[in-house]
Amino acid sequence: MFNFKKYRKKSPWILHYNAGSCNGCDIEILAALSPKYDLERFGVINTGNPKQSDIFLVTGPVTFRSRERLVELYTQMPEPKVVIALGSCTCTGGVFRDMYNVEDGIDRYIPVDVYIPGCAASPELIIDGIVKALDILEQKTKKMEKPLKLFQDASTKDGIINKRDCALKVGEKDEEN
Amino acid sequence: MIEILLIILAPIIGGFIYGAERIVRARMQNRLGPPLLQPFYDMYKLMDKQAFIINSYHTILGIMHFVTLWVVVAFVIVGQNLLYIIFLHLLSSIFLILAGFSVKSIYSHIGANRELIAMIAYEPILIMLAVAFFMLNGSFEISAIRENSSALFSIPLLFLAFLLIVPIKLKKSPFDAIQAHQEIIGGVEVEFSGIFFEFLYMAKLLEYVFIYALVMLFAGDSFILALTLFLAVFFLVNLLDNSTARIRIDHLIKIVLVIGLTLATLNIIGLSYV
Repeated sequence: MFNFKKYRKKSPWILHYNAGSCNGCDIEILAALSPKYDLERFGVINTGNPKQSDIFLVTGPVTFRSRERLVELYTQMPEPKVVIALGSCTCTGGVFRDMYNVEDGIDRYIPVDVYIPGCAASPELIIDGIVKALDILEQKTKKMEKPLKLFQDASTKDGIINKRDCALKVGEKDEEN
Repeated sequence: MIEILLIILAPIIGGFIYGAERIVRARMQNRLGPPLLQPFYDMYKLMDKQAFIINSYHTILGIMHFVTLWVVVAFVIVGQNLLYIIFLHLLSSIFLILAGFSVKSIYSHIGANRELIAMIAYEPILIMLAVAFFMLNGSFEISAIRENSSALFSIPLLFLAFLLIVPIKLKKSPFDAIQAHQEIIGGVEVEFSGIFFEFLYMAKLLEYVFIYALVMLFAGDSFILALTLFLAVFFLVNLLDNSTARIRIDHLIKIVLVIGLTLATLNIIGLSYV
């Protein structure tokens, strides 16, 4: 029958969530959507509605208050979906790592597909990351990806690295299907 | 035969109008813009997505909105009674409002409320329009309106009033407080997802066809004038969309009722004396 999979790539709708970012990366996202870089030529719309979006674009180290909303937004998005961690803080915690109110990156809570480094990440990098995410989106299945446990013990030995491996495994499993 | 073809292809025609509109809007902002077929890519993608059902009434009312709107467009193309078409169009909006109130989401409720308020603003002008066409042609039938010569020079003030409500129906700024993205996240469409959102998306495309068909009604039997009116209104609405900010919903109802209804009433009083 008609193959719908190739059309996923052509209309990615973005949900942008600020998990305690300093607004540097948010401004760069707006720059990527602005006339100079024009993300809309790939069909990208910044919807702001989790139930209609495909790409979850997160900025900021996850602050203690925002972690529940992060997982809630993730579970509200219909499959297939990809998650992009935008900026150094979102990937690892950045300069805020090991602070008492910061959860050191989103990959402790939800599986991440693309990491975009940089403080703040430049619009060119953001466009590259989104194009990379579209390749991953095309291969995804409609099977639900389970978010990681919300209340994880922060003091486990080398916990962050382990969680990142876990996120990678989820992506590899989808490529096999 | 050509009428049946037009009715079946109505959402596709709307898709091309919307695709062209996104390109025009992008070019006005000095951007490249998405491809012309972008609305269809969106629709194919939405078919493939997982769909969440909040409750069955919500979903069915969304589909009913789409079906009723398609019937409205079909009646316009066939050339039915204009007054009947306007009330049927009202029914389709009511289905959407009921869908908005059938879920618990606060954004959905605000969107449905605003839709109701906007309805108070634009509905009198649509009925005035039907009355004016009846006074000119002696009939509410659209086929009779299409046979007579252009009504544009008899009802210029009503045309201006109609231009005021075009942005409300097409959800364009300055009158897009109903669906205000990033503020109330699309209003009533907030809880729809996957293939059920697609029905709303296609209903939006049918709304384009309906509104531009009403615009073409002013041209009467002249095809060239109809095409000119369509292109002029298309560019005017997009220019307005790009150059104005969103206004509040209470300002919307004040502006549309004070200016639009006054213009429409003046025009009808004038018609009755001529």
